[in-house]
Amino acid sequence: MLELRRWWERYSLRVGLSALAIATAWSVRQLSGAPVLEAYRWISQPFQPGVSQPDILDSAAYLEMQKRLVELESQNRQLQEMLGYAAAQSIEGITAPIIGRSADQWWQQVTLGRGSNDGIHQNDIVTGTGGLVGRVSDVTANTSRVLLISDPASQIGVTISRSRSTGFLRGQAENTAVMVLFDKSPDIRPGDVVTTSTFSQVLPAGIPVGTVTEIDFNADPSPEATVQMSAPISALEWVIVYPNSKDPDDFLEGN
Amino acid sequence: MLKIEHLDPQVRRWLDWVVTTGSVLACLVLLWLRLPGMELLGVSPNWMLIWVVCWSIKRSMLQGAIAGVCLGLIQDGLTYPSPTHAISLAIAGVLTARLQKQKYIQEDFISIALIAFGMAVVVETIMAIQFSILFLTNQSPKTYLFLSDTWLYHQQVALSSAILSSLWAPVLYFPLNLWWERIRGIDESQL
Repeated sequence: MLELRRWWERYSLRVGLSALAIATAWSVRQLSGAPVLEAYRWISQPFQPGVSQPDILDSAAYLEMQKRLVELESQNRQLQEMLGYAAAQSIEGITAPIIGRSADQWWQQVTLGRGSNDGIHQNDIVTGTGGLVGRVSDVTANTSRVLLISDPASQIGVTISRSRSTGFLRGQAENTAVMVLFDKSPDIRPGDVVTTSTFSQVLPAGIPVGTVTEIDFNADPSPEATVQMSAPISALEWVIVYPNSKDPDDFLEGN
Repeated sequence: MLKIEHLDPQVRRWLDWVVTTGSVLACLVLLWLRLPGMELLGVSPNWMLIWVVCWSIKRSMLQGAIAGVCLGLIQDGLTYPSPTHAISLAIAGVLTARLQKQKYIQEDFISIALIAFGMAVVVETIMAIQFSILFLTNQSPKTYLFLSDTWLYHQQVALSSAILSSLWAPVLYFPLNLWWERIRGIDESQL
């Protein structure tokens, strides 16, 4: 008993400190790092990208393209109305700066400097200049974490715009992904544009993803195509977040 | 100027804790950053591992394991908790402490770089094993890399992470070691 007491007197501080450290680490894990993320956003605030990138985005070429798009969209809507389709509502996106990259080598994520205070929700769609970037996986008050489409855990249903061949896209941890086609002899060739498909359970259809660069018709069990992402994810500083109409129950299981 | 030798032992202990936790927070911030020269094939240094190596090198195996578990749990919170990072970092902490470097080598810089290199390979290999186990037992996340892809990616990650971690390890080790040595020296002289 006396020895136990002596041991306790000697080591109580260390035991207490170790317990405190583990408890703190555990709570950070349970809160998905929310306090750390908020603190990080606060520290990195002075270094966040300024107005230069939006200026570039607002450049003449961009505006011209946008005007053409608006024109085409309205034409499309008129045609759809003629055919009796319900008119799709256009939704305003939230512009968010990228303030951090993945916190380890195995997960392809980015951290955004906008959160639930700005109206971002889990599972929202994140697009950058060029196309789809990923989906929001966690949200804190002022930050949100995005699982990129280049992450192997992110699988989405995609389609070839030209031929409507469908398949699913699996990230390859870089700026490329592999599209696994459902069809045995698909109509596909290099240069084809890949967009999200109507079969996707997690994303609305028609968001541009990338272009086909290579096709392996002999892959087992079904043909595979290498897809180059159209959004240069590693070079992006700003992204636009859109609300997602589809809502799987669990984030990763929903793939 | 105020010298830490003249501080009250209680205050000095608090200061030590502040410096230690502060260095962990600094590493957390560095995890998200990609500064020029910090990236190789899209992979950045494993700052959590570097901190665990710096901490464990002159401490006991238990202390190394606890530090590894703590930082691993924090990293889980920052990425995705399955598979956990705690196991790999705890093993890295135990192995680093087990080396008992100070008994054999007095020199610091190159040996710390070598240890960080080796531990980075160990950590990434354990992560790859964990991913493989998750894949084979078909657990969440259901659709991570296929087995062959995991090990192909592992080669790339392990090598880049090892090179970068070993190059950046002395940057963290030098100031932290200086501080801990100083505190230890004062504590021993005042006993």
